[in-house]
Amino acid sequence: MLSARFLRRLLVASLVLISVAGPVQAAGKNYQRSIVKYTMPDVVLVNQNGTKVRFRRLIETDKTVVVDFIYGTCTTICPVLSAGFANLQRKLGADSRKIHLISISIDPEHDTPQVMNEYLKNFRARPGWDFLSGSREDIDRVMKAFDAYFPTKMSHRPLDFIKAPSSSVWVRLDGLMGTGDLMSEMKKAGAL
Amino acid sequence: MTNKSTIRRVSSAVSLVGLLLLACMAAGAATASGAGSKPAMSHEEQLRYGERMYREGILPNGKPMQALVQGDVPVSGSSFTCVSCHLRSGLGATEGTVVTPPTNGRVLFQPRGLLQKNFEMVPTVRKYSLSLPQRPAYTDETLAECIAGGVDPAGRELSRTMPRYHLNEADMAMLIAYLKTLSDRLPPGVSETEMHFATVITDGVRPEDVQAMLLPIETYISKKNGIASAFKRRPQSMRMAVNMMGPDLVAMKMSLSRWHLKGAPDTWRAQLEEYYKKDPVFALLGGIGNGSWEPIHRFCEDHRLPDLFPVTDYPVISSKDWYTLYISKGVFQEGEGAARYLNTMHELLKGKTILQVVRTTRRGKALATGFLSTWKAFGWPAPVTVELSADQPLTPPLLDRLLTKEKPAVLLVWDDAAALPAVAALAHRADRPGMVVMSAVSLGPELRHIPDAARSYLYLTYPYRLPQDDVRYDSFIDFLIKGKSFDEQALRIVKQSYALGALQSQALMEMRGEYYRDFLLDTIGMMPDMDLPLYERLSFGPNQRYASKGCYIVQLGKGDKPELVKRSDWAIR
Repeated sequence: MLSARFLRRLLVASLVLISVAGPVQAAGKNYQRSIVKYTMPDVVLVNQNGTKVRFRRLIETDKTVVVDFIYGTCTTICPVLSAGFANLQRKLGADSRKIHLISISIDPEHDTPQVMNEYLKNFRARPGWDFLSGSREDIDRVMKAFDAYFPTKMSHRPLDFIKAPSSSVWVRLDGLMGTGDLMSEMKKAGAL
Repeated sequence: MTNKSTIRRVSSAVSLVGLLLLACMAAGAATASGAGSKPAMSHEEQLRYGERMYREGILPNGKPMQALVQGDVPVSGSSFTCVSCHLRSGLGATEGTVVTPPTNGRVLFQPRGLLQKNFEMVPTVRKYSLSLPQRPAYTDETLAECIAGGVDPAGRELSRTMPRYHLNEADMAMLIAYLKTLSDRLPPGVSETEMHFATVITDGVRPEDVQAMLLPIETYISKKNGIASAFKRRPQSMRMAVNMMGPDLVAMKMSLSRWHLKGAPDTWRAQLEEYYKKDPVFALLGGIGNGSWEPIHRFCEDHRLPDLFPVTDYPVISSKDWYTLYISKGVFQEGEGAARYLNTMHELLKGKTILQVVRTTRRGKALATGFLSTWKAFGWPAPVTVELSADQPLTPPLLDRLLTKEKPAVLLVWDDAAALPAVAALAHRADRPGMVVMSAVSLGPELRHIPDAARSYLYLTYPYRLPQDDVRYDSFIDFLIKGKSFDEQALRIVKQSYALGALQSQALMEMRGEYYRDFLLDTIGMMPDMDLPLYERLSFGPNQRYASKGCYIVQLGKGDKPELVKRSDWAIR
């Protein structure tokens, strides 16, 4: 006889599989949502303070992690994503400490720690939001791990990735969204 | 009774708040427009304020503009400037999935159809046009409504990525007045039939280097003019060229003047003014000089004249200037690369001395400046610096004395190949620094003859792709150099100039027939990264002014025919 626990697990697994099968347009929204499993590369990146960080360790944390891909001189997509991060931190107030926002540079040749530090200051980023750069090879590996590889920064797309604490799956959001939508996706993912 | 009284009180309070709000708005408008006791603002002043709003997101009262994006994200205008999406020329762009339409008056005040006239079959223009909805012409009123409320004159709501700006009437009028001036008149050097350029050649450059710089540019212009002539003779047979370039560019002839600058650099400005007056050009292409490019750089800033990829070891290092686009930071970039590399060893170098021996030539000083500015930005104290005048040799005894005194962990020698014997003599010194750093480019042909004993501790800054890797790119320039003889330095110049040809031809094809100077630079800023000879990666981006950003740290391998061996990434972090 099948136990209730087993049935619950089966149901969750089926839901994950259904979602993995393809992204779906979030109801009435301009972005697509999917649930995916990713394997992160064990690379060392550098943050806006010039400190080396082991990326996998940053991701495997008891905090909610939200990742996006940006670059310091981007004019259109990245400022919207970053304003979203800044606004999210403001709206969460003290709770923002439970969330780790990670922006990864897709222009590592240009985005030095100084450039990244200046960028975060411009968006009045609070502690808990890191901007990471690294060698082109390592950045390519991270982009590929998130199925978000852009051979050149000018072909990039707006993407957010949410991982709840201790979860093994990511919520992938493809498109630009407001803070309300982002927060609601985080709640849905059990990340808030 | 109580309810009615409450309602009356609330209603009065609302009316009072409304009146106060109206009063505040009126006061704000009066301040912004300079009404009241202040004299009326001149049209020029209004345009200056409009430009500041457009480019910096700062209101005439000095405060940042305020806006909302994505429906509920409040943003400061200084982070979300008009220029960041619509670009300096106001002619719009495509980035990833976001397409921004032109915002210059000339285009806004015309209705927009499905496709751009005469460019219906040009793929880049067609794709751009189809990304934008059709609409009637704007008026001042509908444009103001659009900027504030995000609705176009067809009643269509704009993308939520477009900020909805809160502007009072006077500020809005200044912004619109400025938009009307953007890219509204063709610049000098461009007509319907011709695009005219110049290249600057300064005194003292080796003739073979001048030829190396000119070869790719003149070849490009000659090929382009060949297409224009063929199109004139047989337009029907040039359908593919028309589809790639557009009907205007395909028919346009190009020409290049050579502006020779003679004498001392402080006389160049007058010579440039004279050339420009007699021979107005759309842009400067390439150019070559042995010294600082600053006089030409400043001239271009003042005349708003693009200057693309001059061959110079001494570009102006600036994060704000706009009109000169360099292929790299030149010699400065090698010093920068050394600082970045040493910073990766911060645990080992904490509390240790770094000694910098600087030959006080232009090259030595540029290397030291590149190192020092980057090193200090990382938060390190300045290294101990010893300057050597141009005629003071770096002998083994002198270097010994310096090392005995300073006991450095790292020695930087910003000198030429004449310093190699002193550096090689360190092989016998028990307490020599763990690492000696020099510039590979400064060593010239002697790079391949570094004494064996020094190869284990001598590290070199190398700002190009390694020669053994660059051979894969030889085919790019074979057609240019076939049957000609160039030494290593001249060949490098051919490759730099080739990059200019590739960049320029691509940029002109993406300009949608809008040949404005700022749009040329805007277009280059939005181009994909390029994989070309000599540099690992040439990348652009809005406001980026140095296309190659990397520098290897290498060592010379063993043997008689040694290869360079990488000791760092291209972009050292």
